[in-house]
Amino acid sequence: MKKPSIPLGLVFSQSGPYAMMAGEMQKSALMAIDEINRSPEFDFGFAPCLRDPRGVVAAYHTACDDLIREERVDHIVGCYTSASRKQVIPIVERTERLLWHPARYEGFESSENVIYVGAAPNHTVVPLVRHMLDHISSDVFCIGSNYVWTWETNRVIREIVTSAGGRVLAERLLELGETAIDHIVREVIDRRPPVVFNTLVGESSYAFVRVLHEATTRAGLTIPMLSCSLCEPELKLIGSAASAGCITSSAYFESIAGAENRAFVARWKARHGADSNPSVDGQSTYVCVMLLARAIRRAGSADVAAVRRAAANHRYDSPQGPVWVDPDNNHCFLTPRLARVVPGCQFKIFWEADAPERPDPYLSRLDLAAVGTRLEKSNDAAAKRPTHLRLVK
Amino acid sequence: MTRPSPFSVRGRRALMIMRDEREIAMLRRQFDRLGMTVTAHDPAAVSPPPGEPVDVIVLDADSVPIKSDSRALWKVDAPIIALIGTETPSRLKWLLDLKPASFLIKPLRSAGLYTALVVALDCAQRRLDEAAHLERLEDRIRSRRVVFAAVLQMMRGHDLSEADAFSLIRQTAMRHRTTIEQLSAEIVAAGGMPHRTSRTA
Repeated sequence: MKKPSIPLGLVFSQSGPYAMMAGEMQKSALMAIDEINRSPEFDFGFAPCLRDPRGVVAAYHTACDDLIREERVDHIVGCYTSASRKQVIPIVERTERLLWHPARYEGFESSENVIYVGAAPNHTVVPLVRHMLDHISSDVFCIGSNYVWTWETNRVIREIVTSAGGRVLAERLLELGETAIDHIVREVIDRRPPVVFNTLVGESSYAFVRVLHEATTRAGLTIPMLSCSLCEPELKLIGSAASAGCITSSAYFESIAGAENRAFVARWKARHGADSNPSVDGQSTYVCVMLLARAIRRAGSADVAAVRRAAANHRYDSPQGPVWVDPDNNHCFLTPRLARVVPGCQFKIFWEADAPERPDPYLSRLDLAAVGTRLEKSNDAAAKRPTHLRLVK
Repeated sequence: MTRPSPFSVRGRRALMIMRDEREIAMLRRQFDRLGMTVTAHDPAAVSPPPGEPVDVIVLDADSVPIKSDSRALWKVDAPIIALIGTETPSRLKWLLDLKPASFLIKPLRSAGLYTALVVALDCAQRRLDEAAHLERLEDRIRSRRVVFAAVLQMMRGHDLSEADAFSLIRQTAMRHRTTIEQLSAEIVAAGGMPHRTSRTA
């Protein structure tokens, strides 16, 4: 017996500057849709309606308008960048549809017509800066791509770091896609900052990590690098040697030990090849489709208001662990994790939160005093004091 | 004392002077997300809103008759965010008299309130700074006569030129960490340069 099908819009750019990540996301959405369609646990299936805005911001509006008018979709899974999401929000708000947004973003938004499944800033930036202050240094060199994610992430870093008595040593910005990074690598080598915070995206980031690795190796330096965005497929592009050691904050790593994730990774590799790896944004897109399917099953209909109510507080044991939608702001409870890149382009997780953390898109619960447990200044001084010299009176 | 940043809104208090239940519910939701406390007051109520101090007021401009004397009703110092539906000049003129710090155009969405809040809080802080600056300038104008009298006293008492007399007063004021105006008042009162033992006034 064939199950009835619900049309589901997928809007991911298959060309343009972030086609690699959006491609991973579309693959993950289609994998989830196939699983729903084959599963006896759901008495309906999804009919995917694909649209490719090719990385052109203005094309997102047209794509969604077309999906809603022509394909009659109530739900759209898609968008990778904030610029594209801001194009889509007015349409879904006006027509009372739901956008299921998989990517982490910088926060300060809370539309009734978006379910934010990616990490909020309190899931990514805050734990990473806290780790930096507690275990590495309170003086940081920031480098990032010149767009909203970097600007806002740098603001959060600066606010936490200065309240802890530390300093932002530099804030260097590169245009999106720029790979001429030698001058910044030279500056890092010359100034030898205790830590580099990298919010570059795409090719800029890969080039920077590679060139900085060569330069530090040549100079015999070890400078820790922090990132909120690197994922397994990107590590492969960067290369095993250059990426090793980088500390990354994310809600998902392929190496998460839970049974759901082991099974997910096995299904992923069976579908996409043994050499292929799921990524944080891909896994999150998979979670979007699964959360939507569960909410539709619970609501007994794809009606937007009913689905939104059914999705609220409804726990799903996903590959990344338990996930549920917080109806206060339509973002998700997620488990923040920190990991270190090990040779072989994988992450070794060294910290995770005890339980899924409430999303805080406006960072309104961020207590700067509590994050500011900085490395003791006296320790620094003690470490620098030459121990073989004694003051003789 | 460090002044609160207009970007951190957690713990601030808002008063909504609004009628539309749907709009009130939407803003209340957004205020909750931002960690603010909020009270509502019916604009048609005869009594003024409760007297507890608030940090910001959200006023539905369409809900108050133009002919009412708005400022008498809500004599408040808190910055006002105006909700605007009707864009007629008569309504906007009424609104301008309230000196709104920022505004939101209806229909309301979840996006926009945070921006309106940040602009309103920043605007209120700037107004306070400007008022304090003005007061300092007015003080200085008022004390011009005293400074002039002190300069004359120094010119006569120490046989100085006007420029040297003023320079002496300025340097002494700096050394004692007081203002030229304050020292001048003391010179006039004492009939000459006062003897100070401590460095602070």
